[in-house]
Amino acid sequence: MKNFFKSGNPYVWLTASALTICLLMICGLVMLIMIKGLGMFWPHKIVSICLKDNVVVLGELVKRESVPYEEDAYRSKLKVGNRDVYGLDFKWINDDDIASMDYPLSAITIERREWGNMYGFLEGLRKDNKTEVVGMDEARELVKESKMLYERIRHIEKKEIGDINHLIEKNRIKLRSLIMQLPSEKLQKKADRVKEKIEALEKTYSEKEALLTELYTEARKKEFIIRLADDSEKVLPVFQVVRMYTPNNMHIVSKMGFYVSKLWEYVSGEPREANTEGGIFPAIFGTVMMVFIMSIAVVPLGVLTAIYLKEYASDNFLSRIVRIAVNNLAGVPSIVFGVFGLGFFIYFIGGSVDKIFFSEALPTPTYGTGGILWASLTLALLTVPVVVVATEEALSSVPRAIREGSYALGTTKFETLWKVVLPQATPGILTGTILAMARAAGEVAPLMITGVVKLAPSLPIDHHFPFIHLERKFMHLGFHIYDVGFQSPNVEAAIPMVYTTTLVLVFTVLTLNIVAIVIRNKLRKKYKTSLV
Amino acid sequence: MKTLKSLKRRKFTDKTAHWLITCSGVATIFVILALFIFIFLEVFPLLKGAKIKKNTVFSLHQGAVCIGADEHMEIAYAIYGNGSIEFFSLIDGSVIRKHDIQELGNSHITSFDKHKNLHILGTDDGKIATLFIHFSEVFEDGKRTIVPHISLQELVRAEGADNDYEPFAIKHIASKGDEDAALTAVHTENGRLLLLSSEIETSLFGEGEKREVKKDITPLLKKSLKPISSTSGAGTDHSLPENEVVITSLVLDHFMENLYVGANSGELIHINVRDKEEPVILERIKVSDKPVTALGFLLGDISLVVGDSDGNINTWMQVRDELSSFGWSLKKIHTFQSHNGPVTAIAPSVRNKCFVTASSNGSIHLHHATSERTLLNLNINSVVTALAFSQKANGILVTDSTGKLFRWDISNPHPEVTMKTLFGKVWYEGYEKPEYVWQSTGGTDDFEPKLSLVPLIFGTIKGTIYALLFAVPIGIFGALYTSQFLHYSLKIVKPVIELMAALPSVILGFLAGLWLAPLIEKILPSLIIMPLFIVLSIATAIFVWKILPAFGKGRYKHGMEALVLIPFIVGAIFGSICLSGIFETFAFGGDYRQWLLNVTGLHYDQRNAVVVGFAMGFAVIPLIFTISEDAMSNVPKSLVSASLALGATPWQTAVKVVLPAASPAVFSAVMIGFGRAVGETMIVLMATGNTPIMDWNLFNGFRALAANIAVEIPEAPFGGTLYRVLFLASLILFVTTFIVNTLAEVIRQKMKKKYSKL
Repeated sequence: MKNFFKSGNPYVWLTASALTICLLMICGLVMLIMIKGLGMFWPHKIVSICLKDNVVVLGELVKRESVPYEEDAYRSKLKVGNRDVYGLDFKWINDDDIASMDYPLSAITIERREWGNMYGFLEGLRKDNKTEVVGMDEARELVKESKMLYERIRHIEKKEIGDINHLIEKNRIKLRSLIMQLPSEKLQKKADRVKEKIEALEKTYSEKEALLTELYTEARKKEFIIRLADDSEKVLPVFQVVRMYTPNNMHIVSKMGFYVSKLWEYVSGEPREANTEGGIFPAIFGTVMMVFIMSIAVVPLGVLTAIYLKEYASDNFLSRIVRIAVNNLAGVPSIVFGVFGLGFFIYFIGGSVDKIFFSEALPTPTYGTGGILWASLTLALLTVPVVVVATEEALSSVPRAIREGSYALGTTKFETLWKVVLPQATPGILTGTILAMARAAGEVAPLMITGVVKLAPSLPIDHHFPFIHLERKFMHLGFHIYDVGFQSPNVEAAIPMVYTTTLVLVFTVLTLNIVAIVIRNKLRKKYKTSLV
Repeated sequence: MKTLKSLKRRKFTDKTAHWLITCSGVATIFVILALFIFIFLEVFPLLKGAKIKKNTVFSLHQGAVCIGADEHMEIAYAIYGNGSIEFFSLIDGSVIRKHDIQELGNSHITSFDKHKNLHILGTDDGKIATLFIHFSEVFEDGKRTIVPHISLQELVRAEGADNDYEPFAIKHIASKGDEDAALTAVHTENGRLLLLSSEIETSLFGEGEKREVKKDITPLLKKSLKPISSTSGAGTDHSLPENEVVITSLVLDHFMENLYVGANSGELIHINVRDKEEPVILERIKVSDKPVTALGFLLGDISLVVGDSDGNINTWMQVRDELSSFGWSLKKIHTFQSHNGPVTAIAPSVRNKCFVTASSNGSIHLHHATSERTLLNLNINSVVTALAFSQKANGILVTDSTGKLFRWDISNPHPEVTMKTLFGKVWYEGYEKPEYVWQSTGGTDDFEPKLSLVPLIFGTIKGTIYALLFAVPIGIFGALYTSQFLHYSLKIVKPVIELMAALPSVILGFLAGLWLAPLIEKILPSLIIMPLFIVLSIATAIFVWKILPAFGKGRYKHGMEALVLIPFIVGAIFGSICLSGIFETFAFGGDYRQWLLNVTGLHYDQRNAVVVGFAMGFAVIPLIFTISEDAMSNVPKSLVSASLALGATPWQTAVKVVLPAASPAVFSAVMIGFGRAVGETMIVLMATGNTPIMDWNLFNGFRALAANIAVEIPEAPFGGTLYRVLFLASLILFVTTFIVNTLAEVIRQKMKKKYSKL
């Protein structure tokens, strides 16, 4: 035994346990996110529980656990929905209180545009004060119909009225800049013309609004009658329904179809209910666009710095300082970059840009407030070291023999660099860029103060001139997680959504990283063999 | 010829490229410099004190009793002793409007008090006039014109009720009021202290009925009353001769509850006047050895400024005191630079906790209460008759007995920030003792900002230490094992750990806050037994591995320990979680939170330092791991081989040769991990309660510098004090991480050099 300890083997095992714990932590985390995130779209069965005091509750079983500080007692967490009726989405039920439990086939889950899910039974349809009985298929048709109406209304609200508002705003600013200039007859005439235009636009606006009111009244005409768990009846306008289904009556294939359609809605749809339902398309779009703008800014700076360090600088004082600067950029907390972005980009540069180019819109800031451009530039500074380190590695992996061969043919240093070294180093630069993108996609703290918002009214790219709006605020996956998980009024009901967003973000970041690592390893292998 | 040209062009391109690339390389230095300089430039104005921007002198007809100005310091008014009022331009000094209070007749104004727009004037024949002065702004063609308004709201006789007395001059007056009620305290020349109150009582039918009460409270003062406490120690008995309270000043708070009377004896008498019929003296305290000459409340009516005839200025405040009969007593809070003459006037700011004091010798001081400093010293070398502090706290107006009006425009953007308020203990309003507090915004206008960075720095350090306690051993031992013992076919774990570093901190924070925190709350007792279980499981693993027949292990004899351990450690973790309840019953009597509270007096917060330590450790481990592993792998093979050749076991080699050789890099890895933990924002933001408390308790939350910046800077007005203090916080973070990173980098470079020689 003594010898065994002397050999040091137990200590080796102990250090091994440190590595095991690391591995367990990362695997556990990824698994946790997968399990929690992927389950969100699966149609859950509706359980009907009759309690001992003859109260019936209907809902999805979310969780089951032992009652704290009581032995052999269990309780279940039921998502009962109907937030407008019960106030809370969830209900704890002790096993001891349950009299009976079953899964009624006709129970339906209704996803609504407001107030979250509803669970109940379809009783009928009320139209023009007349009630008739409808089946599930008919009801689905009705929902489809109302969806088309909804899309029409959305189109008018977003596109048509949005366009008019955009034009009115543009003309207003024009008018203001005309008034700000010295008064002359010619300008006065111009101003009058702009005024007329605004009036005409306002007229079309009110026409559209009248149309909208009409459509809305039409939308409210048909109503479902839903019987809730406690036998009370609730009237639900068909228009309010996003989706209705009978999860207890679905077989595996239709469940899978349902899963896919929900997943599609999630990836491509607009958020509902303060981001806690619906899709995350604007957040995905904002993240991708921000990352791309950032790459455009960071790649030249990072690559040139790396070339300087590796190819041009000798080991002197200056190059050592540059190296320390690069390392420090990597170590400075991201929030400090955010503060710098806020003070320098937004208030200093943005403020100046506003004064010079957008003075007619003041005091409403155009570039003097957070926006996608400033957020991207801030993150570009943050990710410079990532690109520098990867590029440097790629440059040093290019064998000297190749360079010397090129020099021997009489090329200049730049020509060798441009035509021989850089093409060889491209995969390395790509690795750096991808790693920088991954870093930027996951960073939240600096974005919170440089332009990310909870809900952006419009995407940074649209059909209005000049099509790309770099001054607009945007949505971001990481901020979506923080905001929905910690700032939304109904955190408990929103948690599944956050897990799914987390999964999307983890998936994106890890994929980018794995791709980068694979490219890097290939590069290493290639030059290892070429060196021999 | 052609070749020469192209040669020239090539040379030119080469030169340009060289120049461009060097510039971009150097640009990185500029980025770092710009970061530092720009953040510093935003912080710098905090260091600047108050400054006089402009000093103008106008002449009036005579010395005024009371002066004031509009919000923009364009029009001022002066109330003269004979009851006339003049409005004049503060730009050129021209008189805009004159007004006489006809109703006052020949009376002379002897005292006044100011409350919002109301000016309460006391006359030499016992009348009290309430004057309403306000300014309205009129916009015409984009130009602003300010129009003054004046009206006499009320004129009453101080002793009119039982007309027995001859009218006496009102020497001091203090008055407060709102729509429904008003309260005035008056001190007359014949030494009487009167309380006049009027209240509109709304009856059931909605009709308001005015109820007036007049009360002579002089007898109250005459009652023998020993001083309850004194400033100069409890031992000395200041038995003052009774009946000799010579009132020198009066002040009333806006709650209309507390009346303070300053006396010639240097005493301050606190009278509770909530019950207008039955006022009671709550406290009588010696505040100065010299007569009290001026009293005034600061914004919010909590701090009382006391000035005496020697020119000493202190603020006093009601502080909880168990010895006192009513639970509170007056305590001296701050002391300011003294005038060398009697203090005659005190003018508080309506914006912040600044105030101006004037002395009869002509010196005028600007102070800030919280930071306990005197910002400006002015002197007019003549007797000050009236003093006013502009509404935006950017100007001081003073008239002297010769009829001159002095106007100072001051710039005083950040009076509340000093080294002491940022890093020292400060006695804030409503606190029992000086404390470190961070509370940057409050619900009311008279809120006193509390900008001590100490709790935030404390929180940052607390989080960092707990994270490193968790991360350092795991990171270093993991690296040691990976570099020295791990089978080469398992080297894939390195990129896996790198992936761990790539996980966005927002995800770690979210999981820590919403998944881990509730989980740990439920199974906390198991965390205590978990290390023991893990050690036991390792021992079992070694045992099982030993007795396993050799052929079962195949060629993987060594280097597979980490894989073998997985099921054992998973088992240990699950086992300890399952036994959590039993252990809790056994060790903590059923409820660990109750046990914590009863035995150690600690509260358990769901989002606490344990959760943060774990989550932030998760972020720091890969950093420490990768850098240490790199360094340990790069320790020259010759050293390791030599050690093994001399008969050392692999473990001895690892600990006695590899670890010392790599120790500088391991140290720098820890430093870099430290830098990361200090600046981590999202994890701390989401996994703690963000309460700025100073407590090492493992089960409490905290508020860190970085998270605080993220939370507060979006709301901080551009260029304001909070904005700049938050920039200071980021400067602190920047400088800390800069030093740590530079040090780590230098150490690493040195080590590289050392081994390149070997």
